Parts: sequence; structure tokens; C-alpha cells
Amino acid sequence: MGRVSRINRKKVWSAVALVAIVGLLLLPVLVSLPALAGGGAPEAAAPPPDAAKPPDAAAGKDGAPKVEKARDVFYKTEGIVSGAPAPKTADNTQFYPRYNFESRVLLWFANQQHLYYGSFVLAVPIFCMIIEFMGIVSKDKAMAKKYDQLAYDFIKISLTAYSLTAILGGILIFTFLTLYPAFFGYLSSIFRPVMHIYALLFVAESGTIYIYYYGWDKMKEGLLKWIHVSMSVVLNVIGTTLMMLANSWIGFMMSPAGVDEQGRYLGNIWHAIHTALWNPLNVHRILGNMAFGGGVVAAYAAYRFLSAKTEEERAHYDWMGYIAMAIGVAFLIPLPFAGYWLMREVYAYRQQMGITLMGGLLAWLFIIQATMIGILFLSSNYYLWQALGRMRGAEKYQRYIKYLVFVLVVGFLIFITPHTIVMTPAELKAMGGQQHPVLGNYGVMSAKNGGINVIITTTVLSFIWYQRGNKIPTVSWAKFGNIFMGCFFGLAYANIVWLAIYGYYIPANVRVGLSVPQVATTLSCLFFMTALNLVMLKGAKESGPIEWGKISVRSQYALIMLATAFTWMMGLMGYIRSSVRLFWHVNEIMRDNSPWAYTHTTGFAANMISFNVLFFWVTILFVFWLGTLGAKKVPVEAKVAVPGRAPQPVGGH
Amino acid sequence: MADLLLTALGMGWPVLLFLVCLLGYFWFGIPEPEKKRRAVFKTFIGIIAAVMAFIAIANYKVNFFGESRLLPVSLVMITALAFMMGLYFSNVSALLKIGGFMFLVAAGLSGYGNWLPQVEGGFPPPEVKLQFDAMTKEQLADEGEKIIFGGIGQSKVQGAIGKGQCPLCHGFNEGFLSERAPNLFGIPERSKQRLEDPRYHKGKPGDRDTVEKESFAGAGTAQTVQEYISESHACPSCYVVEGFGLKGSNDKESQMPKIHKPPISLTLGELAAVDTWLYVREGKEPPSYDEIVKAYEKFIPEAERPKPQEDKPAGAGGALMADGSEPVAEIFAKAQCVTCHTIPGIPGAAGTIGPKLVEKTNAPARLRDPAYKGTAKSVREYITESVIAPSAFVVKGFPDNTMPKVFGQKLSAGALNKIVDYLSQLEEGKAPPKI
Repeated sequence: MGRVSRINRKKVWSAVALVAIVGLLLLPVLVSLPALAGGGAPEAAAPPPDAAKPPDAAAGKDGAPKVEKARDVFYKTEGIVSGAPAPKTADNTQFYPRYNFESRVLLWFANQQHLYYGSFVLAVPIFCMIIEFMGIVSKDKAMAKKYDQLAYDFIKISLTAYSLTAILGGILIFTFLTLYPAFFGYLSSIFRPVMHIYALLFVAESGTIYIYYYGWDKMKEGLLKWIHVSMSVVLNVIGTTLMMLANSWIGFMMSPAGVDEQGRYLGNIWHAIHTALWNPLNVHRILGNMAFGGGVVAAYAAYRFLSAKTEEERAHYDWMGYIAMAIGVAFLIPLPFAGYWLMREVYAYRQQMGITLMGGLLAWLFIIQATMIGILFLSSNYYLWQALGRMRGAEKYQRYIKYLVFVLVVGFLIFITPHTIVMTPAELKAMGGQQHPVLGNYGVMSAKNGGINVIITTTVLSFIWYQRGNKIPTVSWAKFGNIFMGCFFGLAYANIVWLAIYGYYIPANVRVGLSVPQVATTLSCLFFMTALNLVMLKGAKESGPIEWGKISVRSQYALIMLATAFTWMMGLMGYIRSSVRLFWHVNEIMRDNSPWAYTHTTGFAANMISFNVLFFWVTILFVFWLGTLGAKKVPVEAKVAVPGRAPQPVGGH
Repeated sequence: MADLLLTALGMGWPVLLFLVCLLGYFWFGIPEPEKKRRAVFKTFIGIIAAVMAFIAIANYKVNFFGESRLLPVSLVMITALAFMMGLYFSNVSALLKIGGFMFLVAAGLSGYGNWLPQVEGGFPPPEVKLQFDAMTKEQLADEGEKIIFGGIGQSKVQGAIGKGQCPLCHGFNEGFLSERAPNLFGIPERSKQRLEDPRYHKGKPGDRDTVEKESFAGAGTAQTVQEYISESHACPSCYVVEGFGLKGSNDKESQMPKIHKPPISLTLGELAAVDTWLYVREGKEPPSYDEIVKAYEKFIPEAERPKPQEDKPAGAGGALMADGSEPVAEIFAKAQCVTCHTIPGIPGAAGTIGPKLVEKTNAPARLRDPAYKGTAKSVREYITESVIAPSAFVVKGFPDNTMPKVFGQKLSAGALNKIVDYLSQLEEGKAPPKI
């Protein structure tokens, strides 16, 4: 009895100590919050030599500073002018110091690399949180251990990338300071308190992640395990806040608020943070990071699978790749809807900006994006079909795959058919208008929505087949359930295709509304059918085990394809988001007068994105390889497999 | 290809030298024949892979800023060498194969991006100082067309767009579909009806249910056609034409930006030019410049009027379409010559609105033509004259006044010189000079 209470006391003290540590880590942030809430008091940015002196600096007759008020460009509220106007730059080395190379490309590179690593290290703790939680609540002990090991493997990978993220962040800031000093000076004059909080949060994030990682073994049971998993919640709250603060800067650059027409700060930092596009960007980025993180971990698993020496290792990394892919795709599915919301907000903020994106200068990039989305879904489906191969009993589904391929390809081709095309006058003349004489008749929005919805619905169908691969439902209503499910899918396809065709017969502005029932149909399939399937499979008879590790090598290349395509798409969308500002550093407030104020060609952008993607992958593959070097040093006895114990290919912990 | 090889060797010779020395070392240094064979063979594969890698890098380096669509070939080469190396270096074969596959995916996507039509966004619209108040109505109308469509005569070109960005949403020609904003054909006439629309509440701004009742406190409502047009530009939400309001606003708020504010920021002079064009193109007599400006002053307070020149940052480009530093093909493209003329050797120059520019053949004949009234004496002079004063001689079968007369101001002497140099070498039936 006394021993038990001693253990309990120990646990309580551990919990208290942990809370105290986390509290101390977050203390600087809490201290800074009043400054944030009070609107902060950023001093006026040092005006550049040729910038006009701000009128508010003028003293009144009695010597007291004269208070000048101005109107917020977005919120339309009045505020006291408390900053200098945005600098008016000119194409010279004072405003744009440069090497003998395009500064914008250097910044693009530094920014993209930091973002890739940043996204990865922010996404992985979210996975860990989910997987560790799944491990805790799992009743199957072996499975619980497996989940726990997986979560640990994930965080281990992210820890190596964490320091690289910080280094790249430093490089990014130096690049900004040295190549765009006037612009960065202006931005930091407005976001100074936010930037400090950002830095402090980074410290808190580091502290928490280290305790989380190194405390894994010490906190593996009972209450301490719960504290450990709740630490991952803290970690994610900090990480997400970090990301949202960084998003506020890009949100400000795209849709500024909190300043007047001259770019003078009006004293309310919340306005500058909470711009028109901030929240859509936040949601889109969280989902995007998760999908991307899933892709990277899946690629890691694929790498370990391909280089595995034992069956046990292969089994573990096959499973890891599957889970990572499933998480990535789970977040990929809502991503287009978050994208729709972001675009709607862009149109609401500035219609011209929306048109530049979707029907103007950058429209071709959206055609690439459509292709990429198609590639992602095709790869996911391919992986799932390959995965059927490691289940005994799944043969019954494999013969239908060819029909799914046909449906997916048709959906994909419709989805990427352009409608209105942006062209040079010569091209316009050659084609006889903005729409292709043949294709132009087909590529309307409702049909394209039909295409992508057919693709997503087919992916859901593939997933349901995968879930059923080695299982035979035994519930009494199984037959009825199967018929219902078949009818539901049949009607869903019919509804989506019918609406796609119907769109040709109604005006464009009415046609846009068809996307709602189409999306609703797809989501119904996703939620209802997956749920129904799970209920049907409760207590199902297994026709054979899932033979982890027996999946084809080709499937691993599908995972790598998925990961590379995620990375490429992220680079592409980041480029689109950034270049839509055209020749503005801060949209409509601070003009870009550098020699690089034009928008590159699609081809140049594609080459640059490929370069960034490959650089990221070469470095991260190097990190993966370093990880395997470390694993080789583990003493032999640690590798001895214990019966019933999860494999420990990364060296244990 | 030889150039590419030389660049590759120039770049990679130290690595290649090292590999060759290594090969020599293995050849002479390893006594066991089996070990020697393996090491030498692997090094040989390494040398081939290194040569391929440097060719790929050289191709990338040479063509990175160019318009070559061969760049993805580099990536495919790297994929091939990665897989090749993967066969012989089995301990890192998974890494090499994954890396190679990623290069292939990136190559495919890059290739796709390069295969699509290449659209490049130009520099910010130049801020040109124009004396609008000293212009005739025709000149003002021309400037107006430029502001709306980007050039004179562009109003009939689908997709043409200028600083005002109006055609992004408005239709301008009779019967054109205009879904985002009202078609502006017939606006001078229609404005009278708008003023009488009960929803407009002429003279009673307080009765309006729109999000903005007046352009600014005390501005009131429009009384005349011109004032209506001015108010629509300065305060689009003061009155919204039925069915064109911001989605969900029940026509109480317009989606159009205030045209005198960023991002468009037209000055009062520019607005006067735009409005003048709206009248002139329908053959109607426009109000005078002063009347238009006065109408705008009623709705745009002094503090909000964009200043014509003061904001212009030093060195932010000028009014020039091309300054002469560009390659000649780019000058032709920037000046839009390619849209109307066929120019052998210039990519995309297949226009038929103007004559084909084979001037080494054409110019001497034109100079001898009795109808020629210009002052040029040589081929070069003739070309120069045709660019800056197109009406000096109008080629038979082509209407006068189609070609803009602004190239004298829009092209630098250097740019004009490059154009003349090139055109004067073009001869019918012969290959164009290399550019």
C-alpha cells in the first residue's frame, strides 16, 4: 500500500514538475501578450533617406506632438498614425543590394527551403499526437506498442529536421536583410512585437519538443503517458500559433490591414495580423502541411522499405508507409475545399486578384495544379490497389481495377481541360478567341468539378475495397448493406455526372452553383460509406491476414511519387500565392521597384520549383541516410526481437 | 552539343581528373585480380555518371535563364545516371533509385510547365507624365483607350487590357456578354435612365440603402450624365446596377474598386481621358476636359486625388516599351509589332493586319513608288520613317491609321536602331539573319 502511494506521489510530483517546465517555457509569451493585446507600440520605421517625413512627426505650436489620425485601408476604422509611410523604393543598390544574380530567386530558394522544413516539423507532431493517442486507447497491447513505436519514429525524424529548419530560418532572415532591407525594415516595423513573440514561441517549441522526445521512455505508463500525450497537444498549440504568426506576415503582404493608404501603421496590431486572407491561409496551410508531412514520412518509410534487409523491417516500414499515406490523403481530401474558401476570400477582397489567379496571368499555373491533383489521386489509388496484393482474399476486387483506371483517367482528362485561356494577342488571333474551338466547349466548371468529384469518389471506393480486402462481413444485414452501398455509389456517380452534363445547358453564373450538390455527393460517399463499411466490418471474418512487407516494390515508388508531387504542388501554390501580388511588396501599399518586379514565365517557375523540390529531397534523403548510420551503432542485443514485441528498426529508444 | 561538352568539362574537370587518378590507383594498386576488376569497373561507371551529371548541370547552367525547353532533359539524364549507379553501388542503391525517381518526376513536371504556353507578366505599368489638360478630345480619347485596353486600336482585341483594368469585368462592345459588371456600350445614353431610376435617389443620398450613400460627406448625388459616370468611378457602391452587386449584398455593395484608389489609382486627368473615349467611340460629343474634371472633383475630395507624378519613384522604368538593351525579338514583342506584322525569323510574328516586313526587298520598291511622299532616301531611313510616322507611306491594301503613331516616343533610339538593323536585312525568299 505504502509503495503504491509512494509511486503515486512520484507521479504527482512528476506532473507538477512537467507543468512547471511547460509554464516556464510559455511564460515569456504570456508576458508579451499584454503588449500584443494593447496593440503594441512599434516605433516608426526609420524612414529611408528619400522618404517623406511622416506628417505625424511634426510638432504642434506648443511643442507637443500633433496627433494625426488616418483610416485603416481594410477595416476602415480610424487610428492614430504611429508609423512611417511604406518606403518608396527605387531600382538602386541602396534599396535593393544585390549580387550578380536575381535577388528574388535567391529569396525564393531560401524561403521555400525554410517552408518545406518548417511545414514538415510542424506537421509531424500532429501525427505523433494522433498516433500516440491511438496507441493509448488501443485495447490490443501489441498494436498499442506498435503505434507508440511509430509515433516515436516520426518524432525522431522530425527532430533531425528541426535544427535544419532553424538554420534555414536564419538564412532566410539574412537573405531578407541583405537583399531587401527597405522592405524587411518596413515589415518588421509593423510586426515587431509579433516577431518577438514568434522567436519566443520558437524557444518554447524547442523546449517542449526536447522534453517530449527525451521523456518518451520515462513517461510511458499510466498518468505520465497521458501527460506525455498532452505535451504533444501543447507542442501542437505552440507550433500552430507559430505558423499562424508567420502567416500573418504573408497575409499582410497580400491583403494589408492595420495601416492607412500610405502604409502608416495605425497602432492596432490585431488588425495587421487579422487581415482578410489570414484565416483562410491558416486553414489551408495546416491541411497542406499535414498532407505534405504525410508524404515525407511515407517517402521515408518507402526508403527504409526498399533498403530493408529483414522481413521484419520490411513489414514495419510497409505499415509505416501505409499509415503515413493514409494520413496524408486524409488531409488531401479536404484541401481543395479549403482552397475554394481561400479563393472565395481572395475574390471578395480584390476581384482583380482572383481573376489574375484563376483567369489571368497565373491561370496556366492552375492548369498545372489541376494536373498535380490528378496525379496525387491517381498515385494514391495505385498504392491502394497494390496494397490489395498483400491481402489474401482481395483478389476478388483486383479484377475490377481496370474499370476504376478507366473512370479515373476520364475524370482526370475532363478535370484538366481548360476553358478560357490566357494568351498573347498573336496566340489569340491564331486560335480565334480565348476559347479553343473544340476544347473550349467542354472545359466548363461544372464538368471539371464533375471530373474531380468522380476522382475523389473513386478514391473513396478504392479505400473501401482496401478495407474489405481480407474481410468478409458477417453482420446479419450484410447483403442488404452491400446492395445499399452499391446503389449509393451508383447514384452518387450518376448525380455527379448528370450535374456535370446539365451544366452545359445553363448560364455560367447558375452553373457555378452546381458545385455544391456535386461536392455534397462526394462528401456523403466519403463519410457515410466509410462509416457504413466500418460498421459492416465489425466482427468480420478474415479471409487471411494482412501480410505486411509483402507489398510490391512498385507501390513504394507510388509513395515516393506522392511525396514528390506533394512537395512540387506546395512549391507551385506558394509561388502562385506570392506572385499574385505582381509588382507589390505589400499589395497596393509598397511597390516593388526592383529589376525583378515582373512575373516569370510558367516554364521558369516550373524549373525553379523543380530545383527547390530536388534540393529539399536531396538534403532530406541525406538526413534519412544519416539516420540509418546512427541506427547501425546500436548494440546487437537491442536488436534482438522479443516475441510479441514491435520491431525496432530505428535502433530503439 | 560540342559547346555543352566543353562547358561540362570546364566545370567538372577536377572531379573527372580525381576519378581518373582513382582508376589508375585501383588498376596499379590492388593486387587481387577480382577486387581490382570490381573497383576499376565501379570507378569507370562513376566516371561515366560524373560526365553525364556535368553535362546535365552545364545544360541547366547555360539555359537556365533562356527559353530553351530542353532543361528537363538534364533531369532525365540525372535520373538515368542515378539508376545506373544504383545497379553497381548496392549499399546505397535504394537512395540512388529514390533520388533518381524523384528527378524523373520533377523532370516530367518541369517539362510540362515548359511545354505549356509561356506567359510572362510585364513590368509594372509605366507612370508617364501626360498633359491631359492640353490635349484635344481625340488625343484624350486615344489616351483613354490606352488606359482601358493598353493601346490604341486595342478596344476590338479580345483580352486586351490596360492600366485601368476595366475589361477584366466590363464588356465594351455591343452585345458582348458582360457577366461581372455592366456592359459599357451606350453608357452616355443609359446614364440618363440611371439617374431617373428610383433606386438611384437623385438628390436624396440619405434615402439610399447602399453601403455608401455618398462618395464623401456632403458630396451629394449626380445631376448630369458626366457626374453619374464620375460618381460610378469614385464611389461604385453609392449606386449598384441591379444584379451586379457583391455576392450576398443584395446589390447594396459593388465589387468594383474605387478607381482613383490603389491598385488602379487613375488620376483625374486619366479619368477624363477614359470618359472622353466612352463618348468619342460612340460618335458622341464629350464634355470638355474641365467639365469632366469638375465632375470628378465633386466626388473625390482633394486629399484623395492621386498625384500624377510626385509618387513616381526614381528609376522605376520610364514610358518606354523597350530601351534597346533587349534582344531584337524581344523588342518586336514588347512593341507588339508581332501582333500585326509577319516578320521572318521572329518567333510569333505572324500578323496579317499590316504588311509583311521583308524590307530589304520592299523598301527600295516603295521608295521608287510614285505615291511615296516621304523624305527617306535609303532603306534604313525608310524603315525608321515607317515606324515613327506610319502614314508617310501606306502600303496598298492596308488601311491608314491602323498602326499606332507613338513608337517614336515609345522606343529608345537604341531599340529603334536594332529594329531597323534587323528589318533592313530581311529579303523575300531568303533566310532571315540569325538573332
